[in-house]
Amino acid sequence: MAELISGRQLRRVATIGAVAAVALLYLCMVGLVEAFKDRNVVTGVITLGAVMLLAVPLIAGYRAALPPRDAAAQSLRAPQRVLLGLLVGLIAGAVLGVFVLIASTIDVRGVLVRISPPLLEFLSLGLPSGLALLAITGIGGLMGALGALLLVSPARIRNAVTSGLIAVLFMSMIEPLLRPRLEQLDYTAISDFLYKSHGLTEVASILCFVVGAVAAVLWQPGNDFVRRTVEAAPVQTRRRIRGWTIAALVVAVLILPQVSGTFLAQVAVLVGLYMLLALGLNIVVGYAGLLDLGYVAFFAVGAYLTALLTSPDSSLGIGLPFFVALPIVMLGAGMTGLLIGAPVLRLRGDYLAIVTLGFGEIARVLFESDALRPWLGGVQGILGIPSPFPVRIDLQLGATHIFATGPQVFYYPIFAFCALAAVFAYRLSNSRIGRAWNAMREDESVAEATGVSTVSYKLLAFALGATTGCLSGALFAVQLGSVFPGSFDVFVSITVLAVIILGGMGSIPGVILGAIVLIGLPELLREFVEYRVLVYGGVLVAMMLLRPEGLIPNRGRQRELHEADSEEEQETLDGDLMPQRSPA
Amino acid sequence: MSPLTTPPGAAPMSDVILNVHHLTKRFEGLVANREIDFEIPRHAIVSMIGPNGAGKTTFFNQLTGIIEPTSGTIEFDGTSLIGLAPHEVAELGIARTYQNIRLFANMTVLANVMVGRHVRMKAQWYEAVLGLPHVAREEAAVEQRSFELLDLVGLPRRYADDLAKNLPYGHQRRLELARALASDPKLLLLDEPTAGMNPGETRQMTDLIARLRRELELAILLIEHDMKVVMGVSERITVLDYGERIAEGTPEEIRTNPRVIEAYLGKQATV
Amino acid sequence: MRFRLPQRINLVSTILWGLRIVVAVLVLAGSWATLSSGKLSPDTWRDLIIFGIAQGSVYALIALGYTLVYGVLFMINFAHGDVFMTGAMTAFFVARNFGESGFLNANPIVALLIIFAVSMLTSMLVAIVLERIAYRPLRRAPRLVPLITAIGASLFISNSIRGIYGEQSQTYPSVDALQGRMNILGIPILKTQALVIVSAIVLMIALVYFVERTRTGRAMRAVSEDKDVAALMGINVDRIIVTTFAIGGLLAGAAGILYALVFNEVDWFMGFLPGIKAFTAAVLGGIGNIAGAMLGGLTLGVLESVGPFLLLGGANVPSPNQLRDVIAFTVLVLVLIFRPNGILGRSEPGR
Repeated sequence: MAELISGRQLRRVATIGAVAAVALLYLCMVGLVEAFKDRNVVTGVITLGAVMLLAVPLIAGYRAALPPRDAAAQSLRAPQRVLLGLLVGLIAGAVLGVFVLIASTIDVRGVLVRISPPLLEFLSLGLPSGLALLAITGIGGLMGALGALLLVSPARIRNAVTSGLIAVLFMSMIEPLLRPRLEQLDYTAISDFLYKSHGLTEVASILCFVVGAVAAVLWQPGNDFVRRTVEAAPVQTRRRIRGWTIAALVVAVLILPQVSGTFLAQVAVLVGLYMLLALGLNIVVGYAGLLDLGYVAFFAVGAYLTALLTSPDSSLGIGLPFFVALPIVMLGAGMTGLLIGAPVLRLRGDYLAIVTLGFGEIARVLFESDALRPWLGGVQGILGIPSPFPVRIDLQLGATHIFATGPQVFYYPIFAFCALAAVFAYRLSNSRIGRAWNAMREDESVAEATGVSTVSYKLLAFALGATTGCLSGALFAVQLGSVFPGSFDVFVSITVLAVIILGGMGSIPGVILGAIVLIGLPELLREFVEYRVLVYGGVLVAMMLLRPEGLIPNRGRQRELHEADSEEEQETLDGDLMPQRSPA
Repeated sequence: MSPLTTPPGAAPMSDVILNVHHLTKRFEGLVANREIDFEIPRHAIVSMIGPNGAGKTTFFNQLTGIIEPTSGTIEFDGTSLIGLAPHEVAELGIARTYQNIRLFANMTVLANVMVGRHVRMKAQWYEAVLGLPHVAREEAAVEQRSFELLDLVGLPRRYADDLAKNLPYGHQRRLELARALASDPKLLLLDEPTAGMNPGETRQMTDLIARLRRELELAILLIEHDMKVVMGVSERITVLDYGERIAEGTPEEIRTNPRVIEAYLGKQATV
Repeated sequence: MRFRLPQRINLVSTILWGLRIVVAVLVLAGSWATLSSGKLSPDTWRDLIIFGIAQGSVYALIALGYTLVYGVLFMINFAHGDVFMTGAMTAFFVARNFGESGFLNANPIVALLIIFAVSMLTSMLVAIVLERIAYRPLRRAPRLVPLITAIGASLFISNSIRGIYGEQSQTYPSVDALQGRMNILGIPILKTQALVIVSAIVLMIALVYFVERTRTGRAMRAVSEDKDVAALMGINVDRIIVTTFAIGGLLAGAAGILYALVFNEVDWFMGFLPGIKAFTAAVLGGIGNIAGAMLGGLTLGVLESVGPFLLLGGANVPSPNQLRDVIAFTVLVLVLIFRPNGILGRSEPGR
């Protein structure tokens, strides 16, 4: 066997090991481990906190074994790679072990508030500190080696194992949603089979793993099979298949709230509101390329205008019906869009962002202020907004009984407006207006010289974005029955932006998916609510580094954003530590 | 080809499409254009030459409205261009290409051309949003026309869905031309269209320029350094040096003009 | 070469002029009302101004971080406010320890120096890591991308600190030696404020010296002029950029302690507002311009302190203090709209 490990490899190992160690310490210090050390994933076997900790050396080991770009290292054989993984894991584990040792001796809780005795108990596995150090180091090394092993395994096994593990994790994560729902629907037998003490039962976890692994194995051939069948079919059949698929999707979306229960319907309503916001901001950011960080201002204006016009308790007290007030609100929205857009026309990207952020904050402070309280209600807001939609539906149609309440009813108007917005946005993007926006984004002065009035089109984008945002605000006000300035802070703007970034700027399906993932998931995974913003921030950074074009990118963007990469790849230092990007 | 309609009450159609009088542009101490007088007869090909830094591109930029002149007048087909925004200038019928190619790099070839047609299209945003049938009809017609333009400039149709930045250099230049032609301009400004080309490509471009003028009946103003092109295709030549017009005339006159030769032609006078 | 679009934009011009008029009227009317009503004594004005200068010094130090980074990378380091916060939060524990053990009052100078050092080093470290992980890989990406990354990093850092150090705000121990007032040139001024202003001046002088007179400083200026040419001249651009971030971090860390001295309370969210205000200050003075950052900081500090009372005190507006932030944001918006180059002018992007 050739030399065991070169100096260069050792340096790599050291770096990756250090990063992994920092990650482990971070997980502990920020409180994630402590919060989830008792949350069962597979009851009696492993908890979420442990999963988080074990995942780090696993991934690090995988990374360590990944061949870097120089040819010499390509020839590393499997045992050497496993060794690399092992070393990385050992380093990470050792650092954590030492930390546990120190923390057990000195009380660090004055500074690091999350390092509580139960956490230390958990980390040291109940062993005395010296042994704990060895144990943690050993476990780290083991996971690192496993990670490397995963890398050197044939692709099919690797995919199967990964998929199986993800399936298990997924099933255990949705427990807070699935179990109550199953019990509501009287499927207690299933729920008992699957879950025990909030975690999966051992049998269920094995089942999930197998299903996940099998799915991974069958995925590629299955995909190919479907594609081949569809392509072999005549055009007529293909069109019919597409039609039926879309119809099925539409039906699924329509009956969703009835099937999933009130809580999920409530989540769906929130997702819908944000989706509407995102579709609007997508026009401003995605199509016209204007980074607006103060989008929440439109949301607020829409909500407050609606409140002022429709609530009998407001300072205006005219109590208009919702659909009469709506056109007025949208008109006001358009004007607000123009007012905010006009001064910022000439500003470049980052400045535009900051100014709009400033506008957003000014709006919030004004809504909250005592000075404007006589009109806007100050901190207490405006109450008593009537809803034009029925609060509950209780119908008997022949043999079927349709019963829906609250969010399950509200879901439909929101869904309708989202669909409308999506269709309108799609038509816009494929028209001469969309082309003009694209051109403006590419090269503003050339677009102007080619005949695109950049002023008009920027204003149009702002106005349309504002109208959509205000619409969402109006629906929000009606749904809640009241408006409080506290709901309209900068985080809303940032969240909507994150939805667009995650989903894909300028891509309607992307934005829809982004809303579902970024809004829906945190609501569903309520246990993580404290870390939601942390994850948002991390996701934003990760997305920009790895996949700036989003989950479902707009066609041109992917090429646009990755072209820069392939030139860059030669210039990046320390290629090993930088995430590997696939060439354009 | 767009009809050259004269608004009621306006002066009758003259034989000069562009009339520039005493155009001056000063940039904080540097006089880029000094009192330039310039004319382009309708349907003519005119070249503007001069050493680097003579002020040719600045001149172009004032014509298209990107920068405002310090003083002087510009009259295009009876309308003053002073103070107009670039898109208004485009609407009046002036289109241009650029010295360093400035395509919409991440848009498709077809989309680039269709954007060129933007000024002549009528669809409004609300019409597009409502999906009105005439919008779709207009789009189809413009797409058709764009393909025809690609044919005209010699860009094979199979490139239509490629991203503009992926085209080979020569094709990119043609695309820029197609985009400029898409708005049915009355005056086409070409800023060094043969820069970076070898003799074969240059010949093709020269032929194309001549053909364009013939088939589309437009006026062309050319900035060029390649004397073969200038002498071969121009009807009249204007020479700038240090921001001033130092000569104007037919190719023969310019070739033998001592001031011009002194300015920079030198040995190339024997071209 | 920068092209200017012609002014023939009627709707927009109208709105802009409307904005100018509204602002001018508000400012003039408000000031007149307040000054003529004589509600506030000259002493109060003096105290407000001095407070504004102290606050402005803090802004200036943070603003320098923004301006330095903008000078070399032409990006706004949105996360800089959180760099400032991290230093202040981390040093708190040292300060608390010193306070409890009595060291703080026994040896205030040494204690404070140590506290400063801890804060500055922590902030520097965060800034360096930030550059390395989040910004360097995106050097050549379209400008939108690093900006969004910066936002994400800001959220990540602030919430991480929230997790690590906890939710509640902490109060810095008071230093006996800094209690009360002193007289400078016959003007009574809080000792803490005096310390803040003096420290800020010292640091700024040190920075100017560094940038003007040292080799690294010269290299920084070269990189901000033209990155590629500087590289051709043999300057290690990456290292200069790291140095820039590091210096920004050091200054922000110092600002953190000064902030703590003036406002006493620190928490995980304290980076957001001062961050934006410091950015406002940097732009106000002219982004990319060191003197501009200092000038902008002081100006903004005074405006923010005096503004609410000057403009609204006479108009019987309840709690004008709530509107302090509005003043800052309004200044930001107005400067960016009407004079984006700032008072002293900005550096142009080389691209």
